[in-house]
Amino acid sequence: MKVSDEMLMAYADGELAATERAQVEAALAADPELRRRVAAHRTLRTRLSATYDPVLEEPVPDRLASLVRAASPGPQTARVIPFPGRSTPSRPWRQWGSLAAGLVLGALLWQFGARALLSGPVIDRNGELLAAGSLARALSNQLAAGQSPSTPVQMGVSFLSRAGDYCRTFRLRGTEGIAGLACRQQSEWRLQVLAHTADTPASQYRQAASALPPAVLQAVTDSIAGEPLDAADEERALAHAWRAK
Amino acid sequence: MPPAHEVFGDELIELLPRLRRFARALSGDPHDADDLVQIALERALSKSHQLRAGAPLAGWMFGIVRNAWIDESRSRGRRKRLFAPEERVVEVADPAAGNQAESLMVQSAVAGLPEEQREVIGLVLIEGLSYREAAQILAIPVGTVTSRLARAREALQAQLGDAGGGI
Repeated sequence: MKVSDEMLMAYADGELAATERAQVEAALAADPELRRRVAAHRTLRTRLSATYDPVLEEPVPDRLASLVRAASPGPQTARVIPFPGRSTPSRPWRQWGSLAAGLVLGALLWQFGARALLSGPVIDRNGELLAAGSLARALSNQLAAGQSPSTPVQMGVSFLSRAGDYCRTFRLRGTEGIAGLACRQQSEWRLQVLAHTADTPASQYRQAASALPPAVLQAVTDSIAGEPLDAADEERALAHAWRAK
Repeated sequence: MPPAHEVFGDELIELLPRLRRFARALSGDPHDADDLVQIALERALSKSHQLRAGAPLAGWMFGIVRNAWIDESRSRGRRKRLFAPEERVVEVADPAAGNQAESLMVQSAVAGLPEEQREVIGLVLIEGLSYREAAQILAIPVGTVTSRLARAREALQAQLGDAGGGI
């Protein structure tokens, strides 16, 4: 089958429906040149992200935020962060309190300086915490296999949740050992849990999952459907931009 | 539930970093980009009643930023400046992010794209929207998004090479 360049591109962007995707994958398996072109499409996306994502981490000029504040009076910053935005009644997040004291997200962000996290790898949209900047980049682009121990964000396990979303655990280095779980929903990484963890020496990163704090492991256990993705599955999920069927 | 206008304001503030990034991709210049976001915010605040309840704010705002950019670049003749971006893009990259040369090269290549291709690159590859979302924002068919994106990618890859400069 002839695979057009537009189809390859849509494949690299995770835009193809299952049938077309299967066709492209069959063609890819047989043709290293096609694989090279798909890789080139992905590389381009990564290079664009690496170039423009740092803007997300810059402080927003006051004139912009004050324009909005002036038009919509009310407290903008003093809210305690509810966690998470879209909990389901069957899984009350109060449970976290009993699982591990001090691991509840809002308290955690408070404790470790909400500002430091909120201006960097985490943004708070209306009480929903989303990954941003380097964290969002790593969640989208970084495979667990072959990570250098010095990367600022370490990816752990990836899996499909019972809700049908791709989820990944991660650890942030240099932020007092923060680990968490994020799930891909509507083209964004929503944080499900964040927890403080004792800092682990780089050598222990090999067992990424076991290095995770209990609250994060528990969140994985509670939401995982089936087994964690293996390296090949993970690569495929990344190729589809973490869009679950 | 807080009053609707407060929620709107909060969401808008949280969206500012992304609006700045998108504006940066469109204009190629940090100051122009922030001016553009300011104009878009003024427009959005003056017609916030037009945003349907439950409609995604991000898509609506990206559309306003994009339209504001078209109006601005037309009225101020910015297009000319766009094509001499070397010294204008220096501040775009955060030096701490490393590899400034790579970043400048990418920005310069993006700045050299035709407008209709740059906005598709901005929405899909930089903002991470789906083709369908981009099509809605630009009010064009998904097929047109796909073909513009393909042409834009081809142009960028031709200029940047596909080996992936220092990532």
